Amino acid sequence: MPSPSLAALAGFDQKIVVGVGDLAVTNNQAVVLATYSLGSCLAVTIYDPVMRVGGLLHLMLPDSSINAVKAARQPAMFADTGLPALFQAAYQMKANKHRVRICLAGGAQFMGSNGVFSIGQRNYGAVVGLLGRQGLKVHATEVGGLVSRSVALDVGTGEVRLRISGRMENMTLCEGH
Amino acid sequence: MQALDSIIDQVHTLPPAPRILVELLAVLRRDEADASEVVRLITFDPALTAQVLRRCNSAHYGFAELARDLPTAVLRIGTGEIYRIVANLVGERTLGAAQRGYGIEQGELWKHCAVTAVAAQLVARELGGDESVVFTAALLHDIGKLVLSTSLEGAYAQVLVQTQDSRFSFLEAEKAILGVQHAEVGGRLLARWNFPDNLVRAVWHHHDPLQARPDEQLAAYVHLADMLAHTLGHGYGHQAYAVRCRAEALDILEVTSQDLERFLISTAGSVEEVLTLTSTAS
Repeated sequence: MPSPSLAALAGFDQKIVVGVGDLAVTNNQAVVLATYSLGSCLAVTIYDPVMRVGGLLHLMLPDSSINAVKAARQPAMFADTGLPALFQAAYQMKANKHRVRICLAGGAQFMGSNGVFSIGQRNYGAVVGLLGRQGLKVHATEVGGLVSRSVALDVGTGEVRLRISGRMENMTLCEGH
Repeated sequence: MQALDSIIDQVHTLPPAPRILVELLAVLRRDEADASEVVRLITFDPALTAQVLRRCNSAHYGFAELARDLPTAVLRIGTGEIYRIVANLVGERTLGAAQRGYGIEQGELWKHCAVTAVAAQLVARELGGDESVVFTAALLHDIGKLVLSTSLEGAYAQVLVQTQDSRFSFLEAEKAILGVQHAEVGGRLLARWNFPDNLVRAVWHHHDPLQARPDEQLAAYVHLADMLAHTLGHGYGHQAYAVRCRAEALDILEVTSQDLERFLISTAGSVEEVLTLTSTAS
């Protein structure tokens, strides 16, 4: 049987999985950017609906000053180095800073943390703070609480889908076009 | 505690006791861990022996020449690492099945325990604890869920409701609905299997480490590692975070929140490896 033509493959989405402390940016509309098991980590999705550029960052900690060497090698691990890296990569593909739609997911918190293991909260606070200083607002969030989440950004449509661990249904965090 | 013992009795589907871990730990703790003794213990189980050899010869260890038999493998890799390989394999056998009562899919509980074990070991390495003992306690910390899962299935909806409004942790919900909770059940199960006291106590009290005296350090390692695993997204089931985090665990081990972040970074680095090891291919 002859191999399928490129046109025949057009309907197949390519899923790119972003791991912990990693990010991916693309303008390939056949791609879905996904990340799993967020826990206290925070996923930041950005999408420019005009240029159809999408990015996904899976960050683990708020502040890179704890390990500058690690931050240099793996900026996506921290909010303060990962966010700029995410946006810079998107700008390279002509995304517009004020046009991008930003969504946040993750940042789960243990019960009664008392500031001890409140990494989820601190991640969220750090990202909102950093974005605020750039004059950027967040479009939609699904953060905090007692659940672990997985997120996917469809670069073709800009839709952001979210799944909560242990539950069957997907929910839509952000509608596509 | 008759009610508790009868709950354990009722579970006919418990896996065989992972006694080999106890025996291997005893060998490792001697001043000169006897490699031939380690080999002898493993060889009783031919399937396990084959799996251990496959792991030793996997790309992960990067040896140019394949080890053709277990003694060679043990010599190359060292008894400590062989122990961890065995513990992972045996742990997977014991903990790998789906636990419907908790909404846990096949392999999920196992993955959580494997990540917790790696996290615990890394913390122990930093703080100078006994890595193999800490690894084992962390690996087995949620074994009580095997027992409760069958009892829990019917009552599961109630547990969800209890944890939904964030007032009750999973453990508290277990206690309220079933009268027992998984940490204590796990400890009792290990006691029934004649595991050493320190492991029994550490598992029994992994959610309230101070109560594990004189083994509060071991319990604290497990508690911290459990939190680290969850933080990285390797909790499981519904309401994965319905767990109370105990600051006392940090006090017992004399670590700070900043230390926790460093541990997180180390653990995140090792998790990839754990995940490939826990895939069904060995």
